[in-house]
Amino acid sequence: MVVLEAKNIKKHFGGVVALSDGNLRCQRGRITGLLGANGSGKSTMSKIIAGVYRPDGGEVWYKGRVVHYRNPSEARKDGIALVFQNLSLVPDLTVWQNVVLGVEKNRGIFLDDREAKDLTRRILQDLSPDLDIYRKVYELSPGEMQIVEIAKAISEEPELLILDEPTAALEQAQVRNLFRYMRTLAGKGVAIIFTSHRLWEVMEICSDVTIFRNGATVACIDFDKEEKDPEKIVSHITGEPQRASSLEYMSEEGVYDEVLFRAEVKSMRSGERKLKEASFELRRGEILGIGGLAGQGQNELLYALAGSYPGVRCEVELEGRRMRLQRPQDAIQHGILLVPGDRQQEGLFLEHSVYNNMIFPKLGFPKHPLVIPERHYKDECESIVKLLSIKTPSVDVPVSALSGGNQQKVVVGKWLSFDVKVLLLADPAKGVDIGAKRDLYEYIVHLARKRGVGVVLYASDNEELVQYTDRLLVMYEGQIVATLNKGEISDDTITAVSMRVR
Amino acid sequence: MEVVKREKIFPVAFLRNVFLQPETSSLFMLFVLFAITAVLQKNFFEVKSIARNINSFAPLVLLAMGQAIVIISGGLDLSSGTALSLFTCVLTTVMKKGDPITGVYALVVTFLVAVGTGVVNGVGIGYLRIPPVIVTFATSYAWLGIALFLRPTPGGESVDWFKVFYNARAVEGFPDSVKLVGSYIPPALVLVLLGCLLWYVVSRTRTGRYIYAVGSNIESAYVSGIDTGKTQMFACILNAIFIFLAALFFVGQNQSGDARMGGPLTLKSIAAVVVGGIALTGGRGSVYLALVGALILGFVSKIIFFANIPNAYQTLTSGIIVIAAIAGPAYAALKREWR
Amino acid sequence: MGVETLVKEHETISYGQTLWRKLFAQYGKIVTVLLLTVILFVFGGVMVPGFLSLEQIFLTLKLSAFVALFGLCQMIVIAAGGSGLDLSVGYTATLTAVLTASVMNGQNERLWMAFLIALVLGVLVGLTNGVLTSYLKLPPLVVTLAMADILQGIVNAYVAGKAITGRPSPFLVVLAAKLTGRFPNILFVLIPVALFATFVFEKTKWGQVLFGVGANERTAYLCGVKVKRVRFLTFTLSGVFSSLIGLLLLGNMGIAFKDMGSNYVMPSIAAVVVGGVPLAGGGGSYFGVILGSIFLQTLTNLLTAFGLGDAGKWLGFGIILFAMLSVYASNRRSR
Repeated sequence: MVVLEAKNIKKHFGGVVALSDGNLRCQRGRITGLLGANGSGKSTMSKIIAGVYRPDGGEVWYKGRVVHYRNPSEARKDGIALVFQNLSLVPDLTVWQNVVLGVEKNRGIFLDDREAKDLTRRILQDLSPDLDIYRKVYELSPGEMQIVEIAKAISEEPELLILDEPTAALEQAQVRNLFRYMRTLAGKGVAIIFTSHRLWEVMEICSDVTIFRNGATVACIDFDKEEKDPEKIVSHITGEPQRASSLEYMSEEGVYDEVLFRAEVKSMRSGERKLKEASFELRRGEILGIGGLAGQGQNELLYALAGSYPGVRCEVELEGRRMRLQRPQDAIQHGILLVPGDRQQEGLFLEHSVYNNMIFPKLGFPKHPLVIPERHYKDECESIVKLLSIKTPSVDVPVSALSGGNQQKVVVGKWLSFDVKVLLLADPAKGVDIGAKRDLYEYIVHLARKRGVGVVLYASDNEELVQYTDRLLVMYEGQIVATLNKGEISDDTITAVSMRVR
Repeated sequence: MEVVKREKIFPVAFLRNVFLQPETSSLFMLFVLFAITAVLQKNFFEVKSIARNINSFAPLVLLAMGQAIVIISGGLDLSSGTALSLFTCVLTTVMKKGDPITGVYALVVTFLVAVGTGVVNGVGIGYLRIPPVIVTFATSYAWLGIALFLRPTPGGESVDWFKVFYNARAVEGFPDSVKLVGSYIPPALVLVLLGCLLWYVVSRTRTGRYIYAVGSNIESAYVSGIDTGKTQMFACILNAIFIFLAALFFVGQNQSGDARMGGPLTLKSIAAVVVGGIALTGGRGSVYLALVGALILGFVSKIIFFANIPNAYQTLTSGIIVIAAIAGPAYAALKREWR
Repeated sequence: MGVETLVKEHETISYGQTLWRKLFAQYGKIVTVLLLTVILFVFGGVMVPGFLSLEQIFLTLKLSAFVALFGLCQMIVIAAGGSGLDLSVGYTATLTAVLTASVMNGQNERLWMAFLIALVLGVLVGLTNGVLTSYLKLPPLVVTLAMADILQGIVNAYVAGKAITGRPSPFLVVLAAKLTGRFPNILFVLIPVALFATFVFEKTKWGQVLFGVGANERTAYLCGVKVKRVRFLTFTLSGVFSSLIGLLLLGNMGIAFKDMGSNYVMPSIAAVVVGGVPLAGGGGSYFGVILGSIFLQTLTNLLTAFGLGDAGKWLGFGIILFAMLSVYASNRRSR
């Protein structure tokens, strides 16, 4: 039974058209997937349905009538809940306080805390029974925070639940829990909209998919009726004709036997939870992957290799020279460069221009001249923009105006004028649309194979690891527990080893 | 293979955890200062001097608690001192000596003025989203201007019964029973308790929790459906009420209004909040910690006074002590960060 | 406002629109201030005889120059982010003035010594502020406030009982107080300082690193910048500059007195804000700060000229400042 139907939705922001023809239909008890690149309009669609934005054209039919929500609260009261990516939790309040935030019930004139705590315990029972409801949110891991977000949305017993990339921060076990919970909800008649950049997740949990491209709905595929063809879906998303599976392994050519880089990382703090110890070798031209469940120390390892993780001793040997990396400068001046995991918080100055962002790392060098050679740097900047296909009208535009993928290219680009020896990448393609993802990886592979750069790549999406790495280190609880070689790297194996099954 | 680290010896870990929290360290400091003052001031435990001490601490306590509420909600109030002055001027302008009913009018009018100042600050901080430092800087001039308009020079009139806010025994018309109670429970203490009660009630309601939510992460709060503008404005109004209570005390004590008396108290109230252990960034900390912080500053002044430090050196010493007071927990927090 | 973040997360926005928004954020405010200042002048010229005279304009410029110079100290500290603010600039200047007055004693010979004392004092104050805020991570608001108290205490102690003796050297008097024809000499200090400061901010690595640290300290850190050192240095610089400004204040007033500098502190911050420098750091233009000082001074003059006395002056000041800030703020919120 159709509970929601959005017809010909239009939405623009200033001069930009986000949606020109959005269509979506959701039925009770079914999980509908939304797919599309960044900027395709799928997120805007979710937000319009949830009442965050108001459409400029078209109609939204919900439970048989046309609705116009002025804000998310109105939609919530009507039974539509949207789960954000950790954007609605208050860090200094506890789990249970967050779950009822905004909709607290009263007993008399005071808050009914007991009711709130009971409700929270009931919901978390199914979702994540081990979570202590008294913990403050700032103490939680990203995965746990995501669960609290979901609990918060569910607490009001919505009839339509919109999950906007809920799995981004979750590990496999939590994803499975979530899927199980979603099926239970669907069984109770809740309609669910689910978005993810991971195609396999959508194919596993959704009963139908709606695909967006360039602001319009281009396809609706019902998995009950049609078979699941990933290639076809990808071609709808990117608009390019289907092509044969591109999941070929990269050729070995360009990987030399000589060891470029050896690293020994060891934690010095007794209470250290995230990163305990790791050591490995890296060959010239090799792409070494780091995998495992989320939050097992992969990011921390990369920070340590970049000299920016306090409390660990990081000793490396680069091209035969031994040194200790204690501060970011140590790593940077030897060509060990980090592309951090959170581009907006750690990789960019959002309000500064593309140009300013690109040249910044150079300025930190002690030998850098006092006066900035602007002409020279502008030229260099332009050429990097061209090299990476960064879509921007000019280099003086603030970087906040670029899409996620292009922002990520700027983060990578700022290191390109350096003499890169080892490139550390912390989930470079997270939240990046397919086109930009391809451009980025193309360049990374080029750097490795053609320029002899050693690459250490952490990706949360196993597919990226399968496709682009020569060797894979799997981490668990702060240590490397397995090394997979070329032929052994598959999603299956990675997952199994990450969960210590094999 | 896992290496199991032995847990640190229980008492050491326990002590470290307890003392390095900003909250407990300020309580500890208060205790120490209390002890030192008790030693230095010979008649410390006499009823009369306890009352006198309470009287000297009360204004800063009230201002600090109000300031704490605003800070927790994500704001800051640089206008509290001038607002205090303004309220004293309004009170002493409305009241006419010898006409007791004007005291009641004064209470009502000044209360409304106080709410008004809270609304103005609240609109600036909560709705217009102007950085609090700047908007309250602007409004402090406005309050000063109005205060000067009402009372170009200190003065004004006050009714006799208003003294109840300072010293119940001084009011002629009161029955002896009230005077007796008043001699044991200083009105200043009652005012502080009123303030505490007000906050207690608010903190158990939705708005009380929203004050923390908005201060902790305003975007999350907004997206959760909380009216952030209203919440911050409410915090400013609460602050204004606390300042109002302090004004009652001052007029009760001096029977006059002064447009410039409150200035120095503003920054002291902020220092009290920080010394008490509340983060300036907002979202956390108990408001009662501001009380602790104000008491700490109060005792510091007393100690400086009783230690016979020459007048000239008093500001110097108090400045150094404030820095020491906040440096201690901060240094401890630094050590803790290496988790 | 919160939802705006959601928009940027996932959607591509018109480049033109965001560019315009950034340009407005940077230059629009300056244009606004300039416009408003001109309006004030014209208004004053109409309402008050003699308001628009060259003398009056130069006088305004002279008075605002001091605020603008203190504003530079604030801008340096504020631009580095981390809630940077320096409330001790006033008393640093005062203390320097008080100490050096008796050294110079109205002669030019000892000027170099006074200069040296100012430098040393400024470095000491700035260093202390820097260590406490940057390395001990204490909130700058409270630290510089306590520092101001301490400096005030030192002034009190030094002065205890006796009157402050000494006079500035004639060079300082000429530089700070006198005019060349009708042109205030202090502008011969302000203009080169302004040009040099703007050059450093925009075209040198120091300025750009400073803005980067203010814009996002984590990103700057990961690029190898020593964030703590940068912030520490900003306070040191602020201390040195404010101390040197103390010499100029002394030259301007002719004698040193206890409250010399304290009336400049809050106006210097107001000038920075009115001039469009974000309080959170990461950007800004010193030219805007100068305009902000001029605007504030003009406003004060105008209100005084209306003969409303202190009451009206401050009330008007507060109201207009509030109104201006509302306009700035409303330009940030758009959907």
